[in-house]
Amino acid sequence: MTERPNFESQTRPDCAVIGLNNVTREYTGHGSVVRALADATFSIVAGEWVAITGPSGSGKSTLVNLIGCLDRPTAGELKIDNVDVATMTATELDRFRADKIGFIFQQFHLIPYLSALENVMLAQYFHSMTDEGEARASLERVGLGKRAEHLPSELSGGEQQRVCIARALINNPPILLADEPTGNLDAANQTIVAELLQDLHRNGHTIVMVTHDPEMAALAQRRIALSHGKVFCHPVGGPMVAIRR
Amino acid sequence: MSKLSLIGMLRRSLVHRRARSLSALIAMTVSAGVATALLTLYANLDAKLHKEFRSFGANVVITAPATAPLRPDALEKVRQAAGPDALAAEFAYAVATTDRGTPVVVAGTDFAAVKRLDSWWQVDAWPDASAANAALLGQRAAQFVADERAVILTFAGHSVTLQGVGRLRTGGDEDSRIYMPLAAFNAWTGVAPTVIELQIPGGATTVDASISRLRHALPELQVQPVRALVEGESKIVDRTHALMYGAVLLIALTVAISVLATLSASVLERRRDFALMKALGGSQLHLMGMFLLEALVLSIAGVAAGFLVGSAAAWAISETNFHTATLPRLSVLPLVLLLNIAIAAMAALFPARVLRGLQPAALLKGE
Repeated sequence: MTERPNFESQTRPDCAVIGLNNVTREYTGHGSVVRALADATFSIVAGEWVAITGPSGSGKSTLVNLIGCLDRPTAGELKIDNVDVATMTATELDRFRADKIGFIFQQFHLIPYLSALENVMLAQYFHSMTDEGEARASLERVGLGKRAEHLPSELSGGEQQRVCIARALINNPPILLADEPTGNLDAANQTIVAELLQDLHRNGHTIVMVTHDPEMAALAQRRIALSHGKVFCHPVGGPMVAIRR
Repeated sequence: MSKLSLIGMLRRSLVHRRARSLSALIAMTVSAGVATALLTLYANLDAKLHKEFRSFGANVVITAPATAPLRPDALEKVRQAAGPDALAAEFAYAVATTDRGTPVVVAGTDFAAVKRLDSWWQVDAWPDASAANAALLGQRAAQFVADERAVILTFAGHSVTLQGVGRLRTGGDEDSRIYMPLAAFNAWTGVAPTVIELQIPGGATTVDASISRLRHALPELQVQPVRALVEGESKIVDRTHALMYGAVLLIALTVAISVLATLSASVLERRRDFALMKALGGSQLHLMGMFLLEALVLSIAGVAAGFLVGSAAAWAISETNFHTATLPRLSVLPLVLLLNIAIAAMAALFPARVLRGLQPAALLKGE
């Protein structure tokens, strides 16, 4: 396991896999401008597990969308794997996202008419080319090797989330972006998924996790808290420190 | 070995939403079927309609000048100028007196030619070509004679006895006439034919062209179209064409609206699926291609089914209305395919716009 870095007041742009520098996202509508995220500056290094927390409307979704390359900042610099995504075209962004980000959704979002195996292969399909063997191995890794041919309707919530995790891992992305990964699960399945994420973290994966669950947040190395579009971050258990207004 | 393919996903997607897919397929089949039926019938429409109009009799009348009868070779020249599909018959007229002392118009003609030309005549029995004195009595003319089996007529002091073979009903002037073989008429009256009635198949343009040729070939004769018939036939044919085109367009529009609703619902139902594919790296072009491919597959399947249904319908319509069989025409297939693809493309415009405007982040969040 890697040594826990000192996060008290500084970012570490030199080995950052995600770097935000004065990132702002504004939405214009009905004659007014809404600033969903204001001057966010922080970085996440490789192999780090970061929990993003905050109340509804705090800007968590906006932040996650930006990191996930599903949106682009209005201002500021956002670097994923040392590449400034703000300058990319839509097509380049699609390609980049397939390469760099593995998504784990709260609602799983599996295609209902594809089997577990095919849902995993779907990520390969949009990335490069499909490989059934690799997809089966990914399912084995999350303990679903025997359920590969089942449709999502035939799987439990926890199993569906595990398929989602297998799909997120299949292209070996540097970043796993988990949006409330246990939000739709019962206690038993929450534990299973939490253990899976811990295992992935131990194996060196970078995990950015949005969560309302304090127990899930406690598993992370660092917490980035959002409030009214502004970012705070502190190590797990430490005092909350505003690093940039 | 790779298992997931675009065609596989497409097939699964259509089967998964079979009700929606079937609805779109039925709509496409209807449009293709109607287009096939109408285009198949249209191909033979002119010929069929003109064939029906042939039964209305002559549409051109050729009359000799007041001073002289028709030349002996006039009929042959008319046939040459009018074309091989035209029907022609000569008529010679005289006013004779019956055995009851009633004047009656007697016409000498070729019964075989008249039978083809005026098939709309209601005749009990046509005289045999070999019967030299057989006669056809108009239903009013029959009342002027004492005995239909021995019709005694007198013209310029010369009498002839004819055998009435059948009665004629037309509702027109023919009902007041007695018709007899031309040769016997000539021998009895010495009067040569003065009128040729002619049926030229085709629309107004064809008839007018034939009339020009006739006037050029026979400048001494008066060649006149039966305007009401020629123009009426043309109008009916043109209007039938317009009606068919209009019907195809109207049905195509209705089908397009139906397919639009189905495709729109399909995109809205699957917007999270599309949002997921976008999040996984699917480009806008890729997703649009998948969606349009679905529409194309439904369109082509509709054409295949519609062609069979439409050809069968065309056959049934042709049999019922024209008493002829209309065989399937592969030549209409490209046009039907083009029409269905155009319908699918038109119907896909709005759903494609919805797809382009998808916000993956919001949809995947459950908003």
